[in-house]
Amino acid sequence: MGIRFQEVSFHYPQNQLTYYQAIANITLDIESKNEFICLVGRTGSGKSTLAQHMNALLLPTSGTLEIFGTKITAKRDKKTNYNSLRKHVGLVFQFPEYQLFEETVEKDIMFGPLNFHTGIDEAKEIARETLKLVGLDESYLNRNPFNLSGGEKKRVAIAGILAFDPDILVLDEPTSGLDPRGKTQMMELFKEIQDKTGKSIIIITHDMDLVYEHASRVVVLYDGELIYDESPKALFKREGLEKYHLQYPSPIRVLKDLKERFDLDLDIYQRNLSDAVTALKRAVK
Amino acid sequence: MRNIVIGQYLPGSGFFYKMDPRTKIMGVIIMMVAIFLLETIVQLAIALAIGIVLMILGRLSIIRIARGMRPLFVLLIFTFFFQILFNREGELYLQESMTVSLSSIGGIILLTIIWRLLARFKRFRFFLLLAYLVGIFFAFSLLTYGYTFTTFTFSIYERGVEMSVFVVIRLLVIITLSTILTLTTKPTDLTQGLESLLRPLKIIGIRSEDFALIISISLRYIPTILDEANKIMAAQASRGADFQQGKLKDKIRQIISLLVPMFIIAFKRSEDLADAMETRNFVPGMKRTRIHELAFNMTDAFASLFILCSLAASIVLRVL
Repeated sequence: MGIRFQEVSFHYPQNQLTYYQAIANITLDIESKNEFICLVGRTGSGKSTLAQHMNALLLPTSGTLEIFGTKITAKRDKKTNYNSLRKHVGLVFQFPEYQLFEETVEKDIMFGPLNFHTGIDEAKEIARETLKLVGLDESYLNRNPFNLSGGEKKRVAIAGILAFDPDILVLDEPTSGLDPRGKTQMMELFKEIQDKTGKSIIIITHDMDLVYEHASRVVVLYDGELIYDESPKALFKREGLEKYHLQYPSPIRVLKDLKERFDLDLDIYQRNLSDAVTALKRAVK
Repeated sequence: MRNIVIGQYLPGSGFFYKMDPRTKIMGVIIMMVAIFLLETIVQLAIALAIGIVLMILGRLSIIRIARGMRPLFVLLIFTFFFQILFNREGELYLQESMTVSLSSIGGIILLTIIWRLLARFKRFRFFLLLAYLVGIFFAFSLLTYGYTFTTFTFSIYERGVEMSVFVVIRLLVIITLSTILTLTTKPTDLTQGLESLLRPLKIIGIRSEDFALIISISLRYIPTILDEANKIMAAQASRGADFQQGKLKDKIRQIISLLVPMFIIAFKRSEDLADAMETRNFVPGMKRTRIHELAFNMTDAFASLFILCSLAASIVLRVL
């Protein structure tokens, strides 16, 4: 059992009288193995707030949250070791600048494992392995993290979380600020990590193409409420997603337009470019 | 950390709001001098009464000002007791021999436990503290049983009581004055006023515009940097950094993990800000126009008159 949200609400206090409702009545189950969930919704819909509940950085204002068997409620419980929960659920923030601080990449990756009481030699070995896992070679170990490119920084930041081997990996907009090729590489990296380790991966993103192609489950938030929780296939077959500020993936949009314009007999729900081209060729013949 | 409010400006419409910030700054300084010239409790009490009347006329909430002073209560109480305990002049009011014995120490421990247990009634925090202090006094004076370690005399003198009341009222008036200033003046107006007042310093080579710019940029960025600090703390907490517990060695490491990204982000932000200012043609030291020019009006004239009268009155009282 991974993470279980039961009617979880959270609001940020603004002053004594008003507050800002970030998420409301969220009920959600996340398995600890092999999930690939995309969390989507427009800016300010509560995605990041939801993500920060997953490793108990924020405690729910009402409702209960269960993280690997530990019950989390509004009241901070002295007996609960919130820190140890973060070993199970690794959260990678959007900007690596908030996280990188050591003078070498190796030391930075070792920060997490050392905090969770791993020996120094072992942590060094882990740093080497995780760096390989995120697709950077050993020459990066002694480089200064501040002199890396944006994509490389993101990879080092992800390695810093993967290093303490969390069961669930949560990533807040890992593909933002990357070029299209970088985005695809990043998503392939997550798939690879999952294939190798069987971890559950949760990604916050705005890129519906990536959601449609890679996710096994999509959770849609709108104004703090959970609207849909289903497979991307089922989600994008729905009409009128625009009212939740969601865009259809580009294969669907292009094929739908072609189908209407030329009155083709065409299955428009194709997950990637090559499938779309094959389907189109078949329809034109 | 989320609830820190910098500058306690509260929008309102009384005459304090209509005054020129320069009048208010100069006024507060002159009034403080006047207060320090006063010599007796009666004079100070009159000054305090005038201050309260002014606040009522200016439609300021006294409750709100008192709430703003809450953090300073500790200082006031400390000053009060310090004066009472250590001023040994004038007539003797009270003398009591105090015993440090097993029973009195036990009594104090018991009192402390009761006090901490009742501490969750936050509303009566102040009264509880007072009751606790009185309790300690009686524990020392009455509980003399058991092994006695040492004895000392606790005495209160006339001047001690007088001075403690005097100093506390003086502090109270001064704090009220500065609270009125910060409560009714926007930070931007405050810096603009300071800039204007410090302009004569140009003669010795200090440009007050630079000074004002530094202050306003710092004020502007305090909430931003706090926000960044929260985000960095969350990111490092996700990597197992525990800012509350742990050994000293680990703690230092975790504080470094917070400080390094903060400095880097702050430097990056300052570079971005400099670029943004330059693209909008900001040239240091050039004369600039403003949307709101500071202007003297009738209220300011009356206020200045009032302030000067108060100063004159206190000088007269002092000399007589």
